[in-house]
Amino acid sequence: MPAVPPILPSVLRGGAVAAVVLALTAACSPAARRVSTPPLLGAAVALTGNASAIGQDQRIGLDLAAALLGPAGPGRPLPLTLAIEDAGTDEQSASQAFRTLIGRDVLAIIGPSLSQQAFAADPVADRAGVPVVGPSNTARGIPEIGPFVLRVSAPVSQVAPLSIARALRNDPALQRVAVFYAQDDAYSTSETAIFQKALTDRRLKPVSVQRHQFSDTDFQTQVTAVLPLNPQLVVISAGPVDGGNLVRQLRTLGYRGQIVAGNAMNSPNIFPICQRQCDGLLIAQAYSPALAGEANRRFVAAYRQKRGSDTPPQFTAQAYTAVQVVADALRRLDARRPVRGRPLAEVRRELNAEILAGRYDTPLGPIRFTPEGEVIQERFGVARVRMDADGRQGRFELLD
Amino acid sequence: MPDGSLLVQMLIGALLGLSVYLPLAAGQLSLATPGFMTVGGYVAALLSTRVAALGGAEPLYPLPWLLLELVLAAVIALALALVVGLPVLRLRGIYLAIATIALNEILRVLLLNSSWTGGAVGIFAIPQPFGDPLGYLAALLLLLLLAGAACQVLAGHPLGRAMAAVRDDELAASCSGVDSFRVKLLAFGASAVLAALTGVLAAHFFNTWNARQGSFDASITTLAFVVFGGSRLWLGPVLGGLVLTALPELLRPVGDLRLVVFGAVILLGPLLFPQGVVTPALLQRLPLPAGWRRRLLP
Repeated sequence: MPAVPPILPSVLRGGAVAAVVLALTAACSPAARRVSTPPLLGAAVALTGNASAIGQDQRIGLDLAAALLGPAGPGRPLPLTLAIEDAGTDEQSASQAFRTLIGRDVLAIIGPSLSQQAFAADPVADRAGVPVVGPSNTARGIPEIGPFVLRVSAPVSQVAPLSIARALRNDPALQRVAVFYAQDDAYSTSETAIFQKALTDRRLKPVSVQRHQFSDTDFQTQVTAVLPLNPQLVVISAGPVDGGNLVRQLRTLGYRGQIVAGNAMNSPNIFPICQRQCDGLLIAQAYSPALAGEANRRFVAAYRQKRGSDTPPQFTAQAYTAVQVVADALRRLDARRPVRGRPLAEVRRELNAEILAGRYDTPLGPIRFTPEGEVIQERFGVARVRMDADGRQGRFELLD
Repeated sequence: MPDGSLLVQMLIGALLGLSVYLPLAAGQLSLATPGFMTVGGYVAALLSTRVAALGGAEPLYPLPWLLLELVLAAVIALALALVVGLPVLRLRGIYLAIATIALNEILRVLLLNSSWTGGAVGIFAIPQPFGDPLGYLAALLLLLLLAGAACQVLAGHPLGRAMAAVRDDELAASCSGVDSFRVKLLAFGASAVLAALTGVLAAHFFNTWNARQGSFDASITTLAFVVFGGSRLWLGPVLGGLVLTALPELLRPVGDLRLVVFGAVILLGPLLFPQGVVTPALLQRLPLPAGWRRRLLP
């Protein structure tokens, strides 16, 4: 046997294997695919990882929408089905979930949960010509990803300044503000820029800006660096899990002032994390359970029946709205020219244009879209978290 | 049946497994594979999105420029590996592991806080050199074949034997005239180059790239490929990378329990196969043609 084994035959054999694999995969790739019966919509939200605190709320909204809006009924002859996939908390899981759904011939995708994931996964759908409706992607630049990307979640630039304004109304004399944000997360960095601009516009220069990682759970370093500066207001842009832990540690280490939290913490799923210490958090709302209107009444009634509470979280309402927007547009399209059996690519393209062109009466109130896919929504509010004495139950109390 | 894009991710996993395996074959535990992959990915992402002359605006990114990215990424990763490896590899024991964790962290924080790398969002909308996953599959398969062939040659080559000698007993190897420092440095450099090349292709495939690719979690995941697959033969990490990348996706029908099942598999692997799944003993037992067995075994 020679000292160096002959590698040419192995490489040739490997090449042959490669050719077979490629041929097999090519054979499996679609020819001209057609719309299935009933038409399928896809949703990819975070059911695992830190973002699942958001994804769990969204799943409830998706399930409610599937039950309420899916079956055919009076005035809507076309039945729809919804497939839900776990998009995890990282970018690759989200992209893979999107590919899985696209491979199952969905007409549109609702998701993913995080803006960070949207920057990775949305281009996959955009290139495949599949409309994406972001249910909770609030960072700057999401609709600009491509012509097939829309969102029903109002951007941080519209929502975030409201809670700062509210904190200043509570305490007009406040001077010393500390800012915290997750530096490796697209939404958090985007939102903190808006928060900090809102502060500067009111001539408030942060006494300290502290950074952490999205996956962190210990914030002793940041908190002990800030407390000696005696802040009167703390402004947090972080995920639900890191943000919840940060609030808990701020309070435990003795901070008594106001706390403004960003959109990702707008979920009752933070209550088990910061418990009694969640009390008093100010969070801007893109949804109000008290909103008048038929769409919201139906949604709240369905939520009460399923969950026994009158106050659906914002993420649940937004996920429901995302399905409603797609379903309404698809049914309008179908009424003009039935979609079943038609080429998939063509219907996806027409659906995208139809969603963008429509006006919708949703639980979020009346909404429509800019030509780029940015949501135009009228009503926002600010809520304060009220925790019960035992720290187990809590609610978002809307402020006027 | 895994689809094309899952096969691509599996191949990326296999290549990263090999990148962790190479230093281990010389007895060095390096956790820098995701760091070097990040560097490779940023080279690809920056060149293809920021340098207009390279044709990022064309429907398909030109292949010659992809080759340029690969060469550049390899050179930069090798230089970085030498800078880190020269001082650290003179030490024995676990220092390389610690230094590589530090390297990953330094790279991550630098990339996260630089505006030219896109900050936390990173760089997205990276141009595609191939129209569908098949192109990536072919490119990565070629890279894996070349890397596998190189490992195969190494098994019978004096350098490979020197690596094995350093792994088994560095002192004894040095006494027998093996330049252990040079052997370790070469293995570390090869690992860096392989990770960077994989990063270039991965950045185009994922079409987005950011500093989170090089997190500590990623280091542990790639290490798991080798622990699961086995570190004695190069087929081990390849198998580990393929299986552990595919499993979470193939388990999707299981529903909410899929990550629990995945965790159980990772746990059971080392319990049932302490040396990894692919071991020389396994190859002896498998009904392989004698020629194959002789070549695959060290």
